[in-house]
Amino acid sequence: MKKSFRSLLTAAAGLAIAWGVHAAETVKVGVLHSLSGTMAISETSLKDVLLFTFDEINKAGGVNGKMIEPVVVDPASNWPLFAEKAEQLLVKDKVAVVFGCWTSVSRKSVLPVFERLNGLLFYPVQYEGEELSKNIFYTAEAVNQQALPAVDYMLAEGKTKFYLLGSDYVYPRTTNKILKQYLKLKGIPDSDIVEIYTPFGHTDYQTIVADIKKFSAGGKATVISTLNGDTNVPFFKEFANAGLTSENCPVVSFSISEDEFRGLPAKELAGHLGCWTYFMSLKNPENSKFVSDFLGWVKAPVLTGVDYKVTGVDSKGRVTCSPMNLSRLGVYLWAQAATKAGSFDVDKVREALIGQKFKGPGGEVTMQPNHHLINNVYIGETLPTGQFKVIKSFTGVKGEPFSEKFLTAK
Amino acid sequence: MIRLPAPLLVWLLMFLALAGKLHAQQAEGGRAVLVKALLSEDQDEQIQLIQQLVRLRDPLVERGLAAWRQSEVFLLERDGGRVPVVLDVQLDADGKARAIQLLNGEFLKDGSGAELRFAAAELTGAENTSKLRRAIKATMDLYALSDPNEKIRRDAAIKLGQEQNPDYLTVFADRLKEEVSLEVKDALTEAIALTRAADADPTVRIPAIQQLGEMRSINGVGYLQELEAKAKAEPSKYGAETLNAAHTAVVQIQSYQAWGNLLGTAFRGLSLAAVLLVAALGLAITFGLMGVINMAHGEIMMVGAYTAYVVQNVFKSWFGGSGGGFDLYFLFALAVSFVVAGGVGLALERGVIRFLYKRPLESLLATWGVSLLLQQLFRHIFGAANVQVTSPGWLSGSFVFNDVLFAYNRVFVIAFACFIVVATWLLLTRTSLGLQVRAVMQNRAMASCVGVRTDRINMFTFAFGSGLAGMAGACLSQIGNVGPSLGQNYIVDCFMIVVLGGVGSLFGTVFASLGVGITDQILQPWLGAVLGKITVLAAVILFLQWRPAGIFPTRGRSLEG
Amino acid sequence: MLRSFSRTEAWLLLLAAVVGFGVLPALNTFVSPDSFFHVSTFSLSIWGKYLCYAVLALGVNLLWGYTGLLSLGQCLFFSLGGYCLGMYLMLMIGNLGQYKADIPDFMVFLEFPKRFPETGGLPPHWIPFRNFWFAAAAVIWVPALVALSFGYLAFRSRIKGVYFSILSQALTYAASLMFFRNDFTFGGNNGLTDFKFILGYDLNSPSTKRALFICAVALLLGVYMFCRWLTSTKFGLIQRAIRDSENRVLFSGYATAQFKLFVFVLAAVICALGGALFVPLVGIINPSEMAPDKSLEAVVWCAVGGRGALVGPVLGAIGVNSLKSYATHAFAEQWPYILGALFVFVTLFMPKGIVGLPEQWRTFRRGKKTKPEDAPTSTPSTAAKPAAE
Repeated sequence: MKKSFRSLLTAAAGLAIAWGVHAAETVKVGVLHSLSGTMAISETSLKDVLLFTFDEINKAGGVNGKMIEPVVVDPASNWPLFAEKAEQLLVKDKVAVVFGCWTSVSRKSVLPVFERLNGLLFYPVQYEGEELSKNIFYTAEAVNQQALPAVDYMLAEGKTKFYLLGSDYVYPRTTNKILKQYLKLKGIPDSDIVEIYTPFGHTDYQTIVADIKKFSAGGKATVISTLNGDTNVPFFKEFANAGLTSENCPVVSFSISEDEFRGLPAKELAGHLGCWTYFMSLKNPENSKFVSDFLGWVKAPVLTGVDYKVTGVDSKGRVTCSPMNLSRLGVYLWAQAATKAGSFDVDKVREALIGQKFKGPGGEVTMQPNHHLINNVYIGETLPTGQFKVIKSFTGVKGEPFSEKFLTAK
Repeated sequence: MIRLPAPLLVWLLMFLALAGKLHAQQAEGGRAVLVKALLSEDQDEQIQLIQQLVRLRDPLVERGLAAWRQSEVFLLERDGGRVPVVLDVQLDADGKARAIQLLNGEFLKDGSGAELRFAAAELTGAENTSKLRRAIKATMDLYALSDPNEKIRRDAAIKLGQEQNPDYLTVFADRLKEEVSLEVKDALTEAIALTRAADADPTVRIPAIQQLGEMRSINGVGYLQELEAKAKAEPSKYGAETLNAAHTAVVQIQSYQAWGNLLGTAFRGLSLAAVLLVAALGLAITFGLMGVINMAHGEIMMVGAYTAYVVQNVFKSWFGGSGGGFDLYFLFALAVSFVVAGGVGLALERGVIRFLYKRPLESLLATWGVSLLLQQLFRHIFGAANVQVTSPGWLSGSFVFNDVLFAYNRVFVIAFACFIVVATWLLLTRTSLGLQVRAVMQNRAMASCVGVRTDRINMFTFAFGSGLAGMAGACLSQIGNVGPSLGQNYIVDCFMIVVLGGVGSLFGTVFASLGVGITDQILQPWLGAVLGKITVLAAVILFLQWRPAGIFPTRGRSLEG
Repeated sequence: MLRSFSRTEAWLLLLAAVVGFGVLPALNTFVSPDSFFHVSTFSLSIWGKYLCYAVLALGVNLLWGYTGLLSLGQCLFFSLGGYCLGMYLMLMIGNLGQYKADIPDFMVFLEFPKRFPETGGLPPHWIPFRNFWFAAAAVIWVPALVALSFGYLAFRSRIKGVYFSILSQALTYAASLMFFRNDFTFGGNNGLTDFKFILGYDLNSPSTKRALFICAVALLLGVYMFCRWLTSTKFGLIQRAIRDSENRVLFSGYATAQFKLFVFVLAAVICALGGALFVPLVGIINPSEMAPDKSLEAVVWCAVGGRGALVGPVLGAIGVNSLKSYATHAFAEQWPYILGALFVFVTLFMPKGIVGLPEQWRTFRRGKKTKPEDAPTSTPSTAAKPAAE
């Protein structure tokens, strides 16, 4: 009985494809971001920017003469469901490439699927590294493109005590492990480094803030925060109410971008620091175009060239941020590589991707043979408007996933 | 220095200027030095000039320095030379502002005498390196010592004291003579003692150390511990007396700190308890009294929190983003969220729950469905990202008592918790409505027999419980985030609190939240946040072994109860 | 034992076995992928996943539908079973991980070699899991032990009803927090993933997937038949008597606490078996599988399918999950509305779930129009009564 129902479905799907006249003129790509559950907070924006980018490319004529047709699925912040959806995209929808994932665990969950079926995944969110799959391209910031420049900057500012605060998952753990080694190399004693973790969804930061207040009494301390988006609000509200400011104890956050800022009390965060490969406030023609086009698009979201109805795009108070920029870069790099290869074949595209350059809103990026980008890194100070003011930039930082390599290199 | 909002800064500067304490000549000197520093190409010279500015205070110099630090001083090319300017705070319709020349405080004009206007985004700020910024900061900290705001003076004194720079001693001493505020005087004395405690001469050092101990200087304890360790390691260099003095002082301060910590922990425990209580009280009504396993409780809190967000936006459009009118929004938000969440509760009761009183377990399933629906609905209306709820002025900041920090929003939550518990208790025990509610909850059929309109009472009770949850949501918007998954963060804790207290007992809920909150805060410093929480959960499981129906079990004759 | 089955049920079981063991795997193996009748490996493994969920639902139902104990923590046992097998699978990766080290990747970057130098970085309690049979045994005894200690404490002090539900929820919440910690040596938030081999077979090959699917069918049928047999014995009778009126059973001289404890441990083991098979099928196990909402979901499947009847939870688990799979793909943005509305609808209008539909239909046809609120309760609720009754 189950079987007959399934075959009925398959039959229906087959008929649909046969009827779809333009089917031959489109190329299917997968969008694998949680639209419900805990991660929807962050991932929904990435789905939006991907659809926007597909629209941009389709308007310009598509890729290899074909229009991009997205297949959007919702893995619902459920990690086994991520694997299932990934396989569904590759096997059932036969997509040429997938853009998706936010958390490391979702990436870890789909990685075996992509390797087994030889799929192609673009991953856009800063992460801990320690991974290299031939089927994944990491447009994301590696640790040496985010954490180390920020710490260098704090050291130059004369800070000598470091309070490493993070959510207890792999990205903060790994980042802090690397930072500790790095700080040791720079001569900071163990006694001046504190490492604290809180669970996901933690809402009570009273004890920790009281501890930071004591720790920072000498005025030489800084907090390096790898708290994930959601827990930043209770933390910063507590932090500000305790009379701590960016003047007496600056916080460097690696997980707060402009998009997270929309839900944060910006007033209380003014003067703290962020470190990314892109800020919305960057001044260059590529970025002005990206920002204004995107903000225009969300008001009337459409997808040119294919029969796809865009829904669920929030139009109020939208911003752009680094993960969104990196998502978009991924699409462009893939499109360029597919054009160069003259095909959507995964192996050919993968080969063509290496060395691919793209001048994006954050500056020019280059895809390295290690599947990570050479990208510019910016340190920004947060403003009460929810934007970052760039105070320092590094050009052409080479992304390196394995910490052993860059720690020994320094 | 504490960052000030721009209008306040301008006001301050005007105040200073009007006070007329400044010699015009000196002021001109200061401006000239600042301009020279800005135009200099040699960093060492720049730093030296900035240091000179300490003695050449002037509102425009202060403003220029602050702006320089933020790269907001612009060097405009004029007649072959460069003119350093800052932009006026007032913007015109195009977002452009007039340029104030740092040399004379006048607006920059073109040849025909018209004022020139610039947009900050189009200009590039004068360069500053981290070394320069630090020098600027030091100068500005010294300025802050004579700031009209007492709090700023005090913070500056504490901060400069920690630098232990002997050059500042004369500054401190001069300031101490003029100072009127006791708190600032204490801070200055502490700063002097702390600076002297680092002196190479034992006869200066030791009395200073002793003084720090007497003062119970929390700001000095870090240095004293360091000193004690050093003196132990190198007795020949520091001498036994220093060691003894440092040791005594550290012990004195630490025992004082221990008291402070105790008080701090007690307050934090109380405040966490209040948060849990506020969150769980609505559930104590809908689940505790009515027996509805209301999995949508968290989502009703979310409704309340979003209501606060909407009310905030309405007030923002009426009164602007700050000030007295805006600050009142939160009180309205509490009331409105009670009504809105109560309304949602009413609809839920009429639409779903009233069919399920005979099948309470199944209310779990239905309300879980409702919680999925509500979450997705709010995600579609307000977007998937968290929304920003700004705290009103009177809920931001904190006051210090015995070196323990009391944040206003936490104090408010505690007071609010007390208020709603008392109000609920009075409603349930001192009104005829409350009597009817209790009657229906105890025995629906019997209450109906004696003429209570059970249907209405059910409706009212559920709406009331939901209203409480809504207020809780509004209240929590002041300490946590407001997003579609807000409710999920609290739901497990809420159920646990109600069950731990004893289902159906209001006071059980109060005691349970107190117990959980305080235990959690006591354990946290030792075990960390995660293990602390796990230990609390384990303790709850074990506690229910001992009292299987919670702290205050509802007594009844029925064995099946 | 055979007498426990009715004639129709026996035929249906046989049919299920033929389809599960023979037809579907054969259609996967021998029919060309282009054919209309081909069943893809993907379909097999996704159905395997549903079957594992069905086993979990059977465990929930044995407690809730048959003993009146609503446990909101069954996914803890499901995950524990998963972790036990996952540890074995993790060690079988050998040196094929990112670091080409002999220990799993997460142990390398969390610096376990410094923490456990004497074993080369492998925490001592991981060592026996190199042996498949040890891991398989652990799938049974670890959850059983946890259930035994928790159940002993709970039933000894006669914690019941909603207190039991909330306690079990607190237990699984505490456990998820514990496993979430990276220091707890089970891979933290990422959990265990990227498995390569099971018993020397390549986990990524279609034939292994097929074998795992067959195992899942076998497990579900086995557990189903076991539950059917158990509920039809005298033991099952007492079980239901406890559900309907525990005190009367107690006064009749039965030690209800021990009966409940036994059922609780049994249900834990059933859930754990489902979890153990789930892990190689989906390729990941991590602490979010223990989170309280997962256990709630399992309860919801039971209710949708119809608790109190054995086939109900199976239908519920497979139905809800396949609907979810379908809707998250076809209606990526709207599916929570569909699912949420379904749950509300089922509760209001289908009090006995899917399995109760024919009966509802018959009642309806007979003209005895029953309003939903008057529908008879399928089981008297011992849990969550208004406290003061």
